[in-house]
Amino acid sequence: MVTIAQAAANRTVDLVRERVGAMLVAATQPHSDTLRLQVDKRVVRAAAGVLADELGARFMITTGIDRRELGGGFGIVHLFSLDREHLFVLLDCAVAADDEHIDSITPVVPGANWAEREFRDSVGVHPDGHPDPRRLLLADDWPDGVWPLRRDVAYNLQPPPADDMRPPLREPPTGASVVTMGPFFPVLEEPSQWRLFVEGETIVGCDYRGFYNHRGIEKLGDSVLTYNQIPYLAERICGICGFIHSTCYCQAVEKAAGIEVPRRARYIRTLMLELERIHSHLLWLGIAGHIVGFDTLLMQTWRIREPVMWLSEEISGNRKTYGMNTIGGLRRDLSPDLGRKVLDVLEEVERESLAVRDAIVGDGTLMARTKDVGVLTNQTARSVCVVGPPARASGVPIDARVDHPYAAYDEVPVRIAVHQEGDTWARVLVRVEELLESIRLVREALAAMPEGPVLTEVKEEIPPGRVGVSVVEAPRGEAVHMVETGGDNRPYRWRVRAPTYPNLQAMPTMVANNTIADVPIALGSLDPCFSCTERVEAVDVTTRRVTVYTRQDLLRISRSAAVTP
Amino acid sequence: MLLAKLREAWICLKAGRVTLPYPFAPHDPAEGFRGKITLDPDLCFGCGGCANVCPAGVIVVNDTGQHTRLLEFFWRRCTYCGRCEEVCPEGAITLSQQFETATDKPEDMYMRLEVFMGPCQRCGRCFTPPTPLERMMLTGFRNGNGGRA
Repeated sequence: MVTIAQAAANRTVDLVRERVGAMLVAATQPHSDTLRLQVDKRVVRAAAGVLADELGARFMITTGIDRRELGGGFGIVHLFSLDREHLFVLLDCAVAADDEHIDSITPVVPGANWAEREFRDSVGVHPDGHPDPRRLLLADDWPDGVWPLRRDVAYNLQPPPADDMRPPLREPPTGASVVTMGPFFPVLEEPSQWRLFVEGETIVGCDYRGFYNHRGIEKLGDSVLTYNQIPYLAERICGICGFIHSTCYCQAVEKAAGIEVPRRARYIRTLMLELERIHSHLLWLGIAGHIVGFDTLLMQTWRIREPVMWLSEEISGNRKTYGMNTIGGLRRDLSPDLGRKVLDVLEEVERESLAVRDAIVGDGTLMARTKDVGVLTNQTARSVCVVGPPARASGVPIDARVDHPYAAYDEVPVRIAVHQEGDTWARVLVRVEELLESIRLVREALAAMPEGPVLTEVKEEIPPGRVGVSVVEAPRGEAVHMVETGGDNRPYRWRVRAPTYPNLQAMPTMVANNTIADVPIALGSLDPCFSCTERVEAVDVTTRRVTVYTRQDLLRISRSAAVTP
Repeated sequence: MLLAKLREAWICLKAGRVTLPYPFAPHDPAEGFRGKITLDPDLCFGCGGCANVCPAGVIVVNDTGQHTRLLEFFWRRCTYCGRCEEVCPEGAITLSQQFETATDKPEDMYMRLEVFMGPCQRCGRCFTPPTPLERMMLTGFRNGNGGRA
């Protein structure tokens, strides 16, 4: 029997071969749901156009790989997803080491904008014909010509800062003034700089500068850590979706190495992923309320959320950064007592969430701040390749749990929430519906939970040169991890794409024609996740005195001491 | 509209005050919590497995002289994953329930353990015997409470 994915793979290969002919060097299928097309770099734009326009594939991410030590040049791998057909398509182009140029695909796939700027910054392959070729993720004082993700650059390299430190700013349209928001802005706890171009109160465009806390996690993964150490780093990519990233990484390696995960482990992963969605959506609802000045909502949703955190602590040993995932399954099992407790806690959470939902759906104040604010049209959502609740609130019915089932989602099907309006209010509704759906999914997963082991022991070395693509539907959208296995017990390349990455690229169109006051909630409605930790408050329990350690204090304490390995 | 406001008020009133008095009253973590690492020096035989798996690289093993192996735990960078506890063949490392580890003295977050080892007759370096059983049979090692194994 030919599966849907297989039929789609055959059709894709035929169509691409028809359009680019012999420039399609090879077409292989490393896994039943992954198609790898090796094309000549001269036809990359044409091939991307075939995938995006003719086959309706959704662009996910690009990976730049330095393959020089394997005897090649650079590899630029564009990853697409045929959602309905449950198929990943890798468009793999070899770029010679002495000709570091490739055609940009952004003119035909607008969603590839950041991804192409990123591989230029990290491996130094230039996307020719890119409409906005400014620096994206490197720091302003990072010197030109040092490409951090090349294999010959050490992970701890500290090059001397460049002299010219001015960030490349975009010129505002004629007649518009610039209002700068950030890098530090009261309602957004994390650093991101938005330069809003305004005419009067109305926004006509904006420019983004972020990546202030770029931590070089991918570099650590393929040069310092080993396969089984990376899950603990992966779950620190995001403070809220930690389990999502560690699951996504483990699944990618498991897929690449062909490791079968026990069924019980897949169910427990599903359960934990949904618990994470429940507490994340409650957290987001509170933050959204906080941004529009409705702090009662913040207090109450966070109160409802707290028992879920305590529950996670009991299951995993910590309220966040669960440390449960490992290659091949899980490190902790779920006891029957805890299973019953999950049901008790969720019953309470469901009752309280319903009360909050019933209260806020009629709240005119909240609606006035969110209806018709930050509208993302269906067309833009598709072209920028937005994922997660923002996509579903704009009528794009994509959800990794349905499109690329992982963990136990093939046995515990998900009903996805879709709204058509595309405004902030629709995004509120989508998340509230998802919250209730997640509670149902946890119950289903618990009811159907099979007995058995939770870990497949990996006895043999993971073979090099394999590729694995994995997606996990995080509360913010779909997280993508791609692993190319290597020697030395670590990946040759580990690529991470968090959901905020595509979603932030939709901001310029979302805030256009809105007022400045609407920007925070429009941005907040994406549930953005940057990264930041900059101050600590200490309470002396005997004197009740509060001391605040600033960033400078923290740096002094952590750097001056000699006790560091 | 008014009904929504009344409902919101009712949610708040019904909830009342929920904030815990922590840190002025203790708040014990759940069973199975992964807190600060604790060492049992009598059980460790210096295999270095913990250093091998530690994702944060906080455990450093060095041989100092012919008979001692030095294990240093720079645990202020510890991520509390518990991998060391998992791989330790002797159960010498456990993660405690202690989570109040904040300090402004980095030295407080440092532990060292010196393990008496046997030197190799040929190269003179410390070595770990292949199994705990063989270790107990060798002369030059402390005897007695040599692990749970």
